[in-house]
Amino acid sequence: MPDRFKIGIDVGGTFTDLFLHSSSNEVATFKVLSTPDNPSIGVLHGLERIAQSLELEVGALAARVDTIVHGTTVTTNATLTRSGARVGLLTTHGVRDALEMRRGVREEQYDNRYRNVIPIVPRRLRLPVRGRLDYRGVEIEALDLDGVRRACGSLRTAEVEAVAICFMNAFANAAHEDAAAAIVRTELPDAYVSVSSEVLPSIRFYNRLSTTVLNAYVGPVLLAYLTSLQRRLADAGFGGVLLIMQSSGGVGHPAAILERPATTLLSGPAAGPNAALSVTEPLSQRSTVVVDMGGTSFDASLVRDGAVALKAEGDLDRLRIALPMLEITTIGAGGGSIGRLDAGGLLRMGPQSAGAVPGPACYDRGGERPTCTDADLTLGYLDPTFFAGGQITLRPDLARTAIATHVATPMGLDVEAAAAGMYRVINANMAHGVREITIKRGLDPREFPMVVAGGAGALHACMIAQELDIPTIMVPSPASVLCAVGMLMSDLQHDYVRSYVTALSDLEPDRLQAVVGDLTALGDAELAREGVPEARRQHGVLLDLRYAKQYHEVTVPVAPAAIANGDLEAIGSAFHREHNRLYGYDLEAEGTGLTLITVRVRSVGRTDKPRYPKLRSGGNASDSLKGHRRAYVPETERFDEVPVYDGHALRAAHEIAGPALIERVDTTLFVSAAFTTRVDDHGTLVLEPAGRGSSP
Amino acid sequence: MSRSTPIDRVLVAIIGRALKAITDEMSVAMEKTTRSPILCEAKDFVTGLYDAEGRMLEQTENLPILSFSLGPVCRHIAEQFRGQVYPGDVFFHNDVFSFGNQNNDVAAFMPIFVGDTLVAWAACKGHQADIGGAVRGGYNPNATEVWQEALRIPAVKVHERGELRRDVWDLIFANVRLPIVEEDMRAEIGSCAVGERRLRALVEKYGLERFTAHKAALFESTRRMMESEIRSIPNGTYSGEATVYFDGRTPGSRYRIRVAITVEDERVVFDYSETDPQTDGFVNGTYTSSASATILTFLQMVDARIPHNQGIIEPIEIIIPEGTILNAAYPAATTFGNHLCPPNADAIIRALAPVIPDRVTAGWNNLLCSLSTGHDPRRRDTYVDILFMGLKGGSGATSDCDGYDHIGMIDASGGLLDQDYEMFEQQTPHLLERHEFLTDSAGAGRFRGGLGVETRYRVGGEKTQLVVFGDGDAEPAFGLFGGQDGTLNSIALHLPDGTVRKTASKEIVAAVPAGTGYVQQAGGGGGFGPPHERPAETVRREVADELISIDAAGSAYGVVIDSESGQVLEAETAARRAAMAAAASRRATED
Repeated sequence: MPDRFKIGIDVGGTFTDLFLHSSSNEVATFKVLSTPDNPSIGVLHGLERIAQSLELEVGALAARVDTIVHGTTVTTNATLTRSGARVGLLTTHGVRDALEMRRGVREEQYDNRYRNVIPIVPRRLRLPVRGRLDYRGVEIEALDLDGVRRACGSLRTAEVEAVAICFMNAFANAAHEDAAAAIVRTELPDAYVSVSSEVLPSIRFYNRLSTTVLNAYVGPVLLAYLTSLQRRLADAGFGGVLLIMQSSGGVGHPAAILERPATTLLSGPAAGPNAALSVTEPLSQRSTVVVDMGGTSFDASLVRDGAVALKAEGDLDRLRIALPMLEITTIGAGGGSIGRLDAGGLLRMGPQSAGAVPGPACYDRGGERPTCTDADLTLGYLDPTFFAGGQITLRPDLARTAIATHVATPMGLDVEAAAAGMYRVINANMAHGVREITIKRGLDPREFPMVVAGGAGALHACMIAQELDIPTIMVPSPASVLCAVGMLMSDLQHDYVRSYVTALSDLEPDRLQAVVGDLTALGDAELAREGVPEARRQHGVLLDLRYAKQYHEVTVPVAPAAIANGDLEAIGSAFHREHNRLYGYDLEAEGTGLTLITVRVRSVGRTDKPRYPKLRSGGNASDSLKGHRRAYVPETERFDEVPVYDGHALRAAHEIAGPALIERVDTTLFVSAAFTTRVDDHGTLVLEPAGRGSSP
Repeated sequence: MSRSTPIDRVLVAIIGRALKAITDEMSVAMEKTTRSPILCEAKDFVTGLYDAEGRMLEQTENLPILSFSLGPVCRHIAEQFRGQVYPGDVFFHNDVFSFGNQNNDVAAFMPIFVGDTLVAWAACKGHQADIGGAVRGGYNPNATEVWQEALRIPAVKVHERGELRRDVWDLIFANVRLPIVEEDMRAEIGSCAVGERRLRALVEKYGLERFTAHKAALFESTRRMMESEIRSIPNGTYSGEATVYFDGRTPGSRYRIRVAITVEDERVVFDYSETDPQTDGFVNGTYTSSASATILTFLQMVDARIPHNQGIIEPIEIIIPEGTILNAAYPAATTFGNHLCPPNADAIIRALAPVIPDRVTAGWNNLLCSLSTGHDPRRRDTYVDILFMGLKGGSGATSDCDGYDHIGMIDASGGLLDQDYEMFEQQTPHLLERHEFLTDSAGAGRFRGGLGVETRYRVGGEKTQLVVFGDGDAEPAFGLFGGQDGTLNSIALHLPDGTVRKTASKEIVAAVPAGTGYVQQAGGGGGFGPPHERPAETVRREVADELISIDAAGSAYGVVIDSESGQVLEAETAARRAAMAAAASRRATED
């Protein structure tokens, strides 16, 4: 029987990455250029490339693909470039500016030219409607149905494509929103409708409002894109299952995703930790920090105790999204980060980036400013004839000129010392990014092996690890397409919330069980619709609790038995433990009361995960030695002749002592003098401090 | 010592970045663990690191007005306890007569040792919900001396060599009403502990000698940046004035703040010698609260990217004679002192606007604030709420940018956040009826001021008391270079019996009946440049958005809009604007 396939497809700004897994456990990775105007074209190009490599027609390949898992940034890009739908908002009389006010924050306190974000919905399309619920959801003023109809008339005149509805206290009672939505659907039958009590029935008006509006803004965009993609895939002969990546790292069917398109807003890097988990689990590592250094930014995310670390809310371009998303820190550090001296003469790297155009000076595409890649090239880490597998020929002379002009001469250094300085500064910046996601959350980075992804990360990993005393670095074999790999390592996942505000001591167990039951039923129905067999469905309950009069909640997983038995004591002690872990103290002994704010159910449908094929063993690392190159060794602050290895020729259990360079088509790893690297059974390069490796 | 250590310019940058990361981390620790809303929700606290001599290494300035008094207090403690500072010590301090800025801003300091050497201090200071005195919360408009306002805490050691000094601790908290203050001071110590651990690791990594030498280089590089900013201001002495209204005791009372700013090459001196004498109420500044206000206002006029360490303040000298309203003599009441920042900033802006018009803003809306307390029968408990959402008006416009809408007073500069509306209704018995931009509140101009807001709620619950404090009800935020003023602040109570009672700017209103309509307006910021130069299309769009009324578009901006179509009437607009331009140039000639 011929092989069947699963494909993970990650569409980025520059490249579309693909990861192919066959039923006979073969894997392959592919990179094609993205087509930002209609990313589905790039996806099809990728499938053509795969077909070519298998010597198949696209149709023959498509017919043998069971599953495509797809991560898309169309909603992210539509938000960043403000090219989403034209949205109208119906909201409670008296609060129509909350969206624009963003609670009155100015992020840059000393910059009087720092502007507010342009609101997704302009004021003239934010229409107030009379009608009011109190804090419990009890009606104190009936909804003005004629007012809703009049507002619909205004929105029709304004030719809106989508309508968001968000009323005060609708988290506690959806009746007014439901009534308004029914009118909108009649009056504006073509509009995409986003209702706060459906998108996010949880307390905190601004968070719910912003999320609901963003949902409306990107809904039509995602609908158009997925329609186009599904048509193209069907035309190519694909009859399998298409799954879409969400910001939470879980996937869902297009129909489910289109009910809450805002769940894809931060899905770009969301698959990385899943892939990292698949790399580290065979090594019995259940907690890792995942770093991904691309052209303009550096992302750091976390896997803790075998699960991707999530947070309940976050921001995109200073706009609030209160949906589960990856716990991630992003800083402006990448291959394109520009080095410059500030007014005080201190060397800075980034956050300005040369991007892909004009790119680093050494690309010879008109870039004149020295970038991180120029420094890496000058330090001997990159082979000018083997960059991106030889697709781009680098010009060391241009890199040196740019560094000399903008960094070395003004600092009174020679070019190589200046390049070494640039390398150190950007490494320190990235180390701070890792620190943000570990130390700031009460975690010790020394307990977290670091998984390195992205094209540029492996040149800098040793220095980041040294800065933070991180003991182990892992560079998976498909490091540069790690998110595409992660697509196939993800489960189906749907998150549901509902607020139930009560003192824990007044909690009615029946009511809590009813809320949990309702949310679980929603999740179960969704997974059933997606064809997940019952045995593979799991529903976890999390409660957002806080001490009475505190302002910030802590989300605590609670055992099903505690809910079923109404065991308030078990719920309380789970909270005290988590509060203590996060903040170093609890008030259990003081008997301080607890308040429940929100109930969450996370419904997961377990998928079959591919396993990496085993790498052959035998021979010696020296068989892969390509030659030597003059490169900078940070430990000695000197240049040396450093051995260069062919990463594709390495076999399991090979060991290489630093300093060394290991080149693959898509990434180069620099092993500094303080590290030794070993190849594991699946081709992951595992780096540990020299003298602590596995050799006797 | 440092002369012999070679300076690695790259390491200077790395150490600078690391110091900022540490104070940020201290700030996160504080934010997440405190319980008083003014700390965890409004972030009314700062964290900082200082060297052994009390020079600022770096700060995280959530509320800038608190920031620039930590260094002086640190120097004071280092001096006071010289030879008696040990690893594991913790000091508390709030005393306004030994460099504290406000009684309720209580600081914790922790020395940082590497081996036996004191190398630095970690500090955290937050606005505590209570610190004793005659009135819960500390805002006592009737106070005439410090003891009626607060418990004075001169530098005291609460931990010595890692041991809690239980007697000292108990003495302090026996004089504070609210138990959460004790918890929140523990959070300050926790924040310092984070800073201590991380800075010690940093110094150990590079060695004390290298660290010290590179720290000096960091100060110097920062100072050079600041000096080059000052050098770009023409040499000369520039004067500005502003008025402080109502001292909380005598209706109609007024005081003048007068500043003479002398720029001489790379140094700048702010001299307040001509400022009016202190009041006999609580509307008085301390030296450090006033100097903090001066520094934060001036820092908004220079490159915002310059790091905040000793180097940035070294070129600035501030002279405030004791006995003036900005530096009241012992034992004056001073709780209102932080809120003298807005008029102080006004005086500085007025002085420098003619000299550096591209770097100043027009006037900012001043603070007017209310705090409600009472009994909430729904949860059978008391509540306290500071109406942050109501107090935030607009900032002044600049030469090329509108003011920021609903940002709040200059001493917070957008660092104070609104409470969430639904949380407000959970945590107080009140019903929110309105919180929206206030039409026509922004001072008109080529660039308009930031918009103010109107907040209305229906008072619920029992035993409701309002503490009102602030300003901006007598003089609006001023316009610059032909820009117009913003609108005034006000708080009015629409009582159930139909009467309307306007509050004073400093007043305690007891027994507010349930059902009262609370109405607060926070005014807009001042405009910059002649309003008739604002593009008519921009005005039309803001009329469509109901941020400007059709009347104001015509009268203030000279943009005549057809009320039916909403379109600009071109001919009428051109005529109206030509007349406005002619009148403006006539005025200019007459001047």
